[in-house]
Amino acid sequence: MGEVKLFFGPNHPGMHGNFSVHMYVEGDTVVRARPLPGFLHRGFEKLMERRLWYQNLALIPRICVPEPDINEVCYAMAIEKIAKIEVPERAQWIRMIVLELARIASHLMSFPGIGGSLGLYTGPFWGTADRDRVLDIFESLTGARVYHMYIVPGGVRKDLTPSIQKSIKETLDYIESRLPDYENLIFKNRIVHTRLKKIALLDRETALELGITGVGLRATGVPYDIRKVDPYLFYDKVEFEVPTATDGDAFSRVYLKFLEISQSIKIIRQALEKMPEGKVNVRISDGNALRYRVPKGQAYVHVESTRGEYGYYMVSDGGEKPYRVAVRGASYPQTFIGIEKYLPGTRIEDVPIWLSTMDVCAPEVDR
Amino acid sequence: MMSSMSEIVKNLKTLVKKLEIVEIDEREVKIEIPCEKTLNVLSFLKGNGYSHLSILTAVDWIEENKFEIVYVLFSWENGGKFVVSTKIDRKKAKFVSVMHLWPIARFYERELHEFFGIQFEGNDDMRPLFLENWDSLPPLRKDFDPLEYSKEKFPDREYIKDVIYEAKVIRGDLNG
Repeated sequence: MGEVKLFFGPNHPGMHGNFSVHMYVEGDTVVRARPLPGFLHRGFEKLMERRLWYQNLALIPRICVPEPDINEVCYAMAIEKIAKIEVPERAQWIRMIVLELARIASHLMSFPGIGGSLGLYTGPFWGTADRDRVLDIFESLTGARVYHMYIVPGGVRKDLTPSIQKSIKETLDYIESRLPDYENLIFKNRIVHTRLKKIALLDRETALELGITGVGLRATGVPYDIRKVDPYLFYDKVEFEVPTATDGDAFSRVYLKFLEISQSIKIIRQALEKMPEGKVNVRISDGNALRYRVPKGQAYVHVESTRGEYGYYMVSDGGEKPYRVAVRGASYPQTFIGIEKYLPGTRIEDVPIWLSTMDVCAPEVDR
Repeated sequence: MMSSMSEIVKNLKTLVKKLEIVEIDEREVKIEIPCEKTLNVLSFLKGNGYSHLSILTAVDWIEENKFEIVYVLFSWENGGKFVVSTKIDRKKAKFVSVMHLWPIARFYERELHEFFGIQFEGNDDMRPLFLENWDSLPPLRKDFDPLEYSKEKFPDREYIKDVIYEAKVIRGDLNG
């Protein structure tokens, strides 16, 4: 049988986001695959160079759609690092709570979302409904559901009031009570086992060589998490575990995401307890905040996102605008090298499994 | 600087004479090196635990007429970061590829070629990655003005003011 070229693009329901892959297939097997990004290239890095430091706050959350808060915290931490600003302790704890809530929200969309690629549609429905409860917290805290623009250089915009703390605790209790249901629905399901076990395998050496981070790497047995290795905020002051697996297959990657939710719940509970009273932001300059200048310098700041290492390399020349901002999308390696190297040899129906368990995220790759 | 990092810096000083060190943070050190020593330094750091290439990017220093190429290397063992930077001539934007050290560098270099116009020797794959039918300067260069470009590419159309008149013509109200 001859080779056929298939275009697997954003208009396909099995595609993971606004991304496309050119596949050359023989029968049902992929012979060659070529990633073709660019549908979501919006030129953020250039746009940021042409806007004031403060104006960029409204722009950066848009870089990564499912988990926007990591952009805000990277941007704020990079400015604080260059300008050597001390952030109030309470603000750092609140940032951590927001980041972990965002992690829960993102995981609740992505791990039941595997059901979408497999035809098990109850998972995504449940996940989306439960994620909505986290978004309710964001709405009461920041005023926005998806793009919060809440973490600003110097702290956070508003204080975390006792009533919001109460609703966070209630939501965490609810999500925790739902976890056994998810386990029964997804991880004890025969379809999921048959379709995900020993599929899209990745071994440890290759993962490290290719620079794959996040659950893709941890599923190969190494506990490499930036929150532990290079702690930022107060991650060194809370107790949590980094779940790992040794199989390196699609199932363990999805299962790790599920396990991370309970760790995030643990972190938020500790943070709520340890959070001191006090100010939540400091003025980063005198006078008009829009005309703020960041002193000369550069910094690379990275955080652990749900998909792996997410970082900003930022350069300031002392002016009113950033001189250069480079964004490291967390799924950059698995998107490009992963598709080229790992899709050949798999069957067509396993392609969306690689894309969704490796979290190919078009907005942060294209930027 | 952490003690393990300062040890590496000490070893690097014997390897490269012209070495400028900027300490950004306890776990982040920037080293500026001459461009001919880059491969040596990178493979030395890779062999000493800093094996994860976090990002490969470039900065356009148009006033100095230089491109700064930046490699951020991260160690999973101790959490230290080395920001290795080197400057090349802006007019002859050509540099060596590091795709034999890190396979993902192939795509970072392709991106830099597209956005800055930097050629990488040893990397044959220099097709455009994100942009389609691009016909101007590489967009992340400082002398590229996106506003001017879009005005030229998508010129303003004349604004039709009298919408009500148009509507009347269409409905035929003017005659009746």
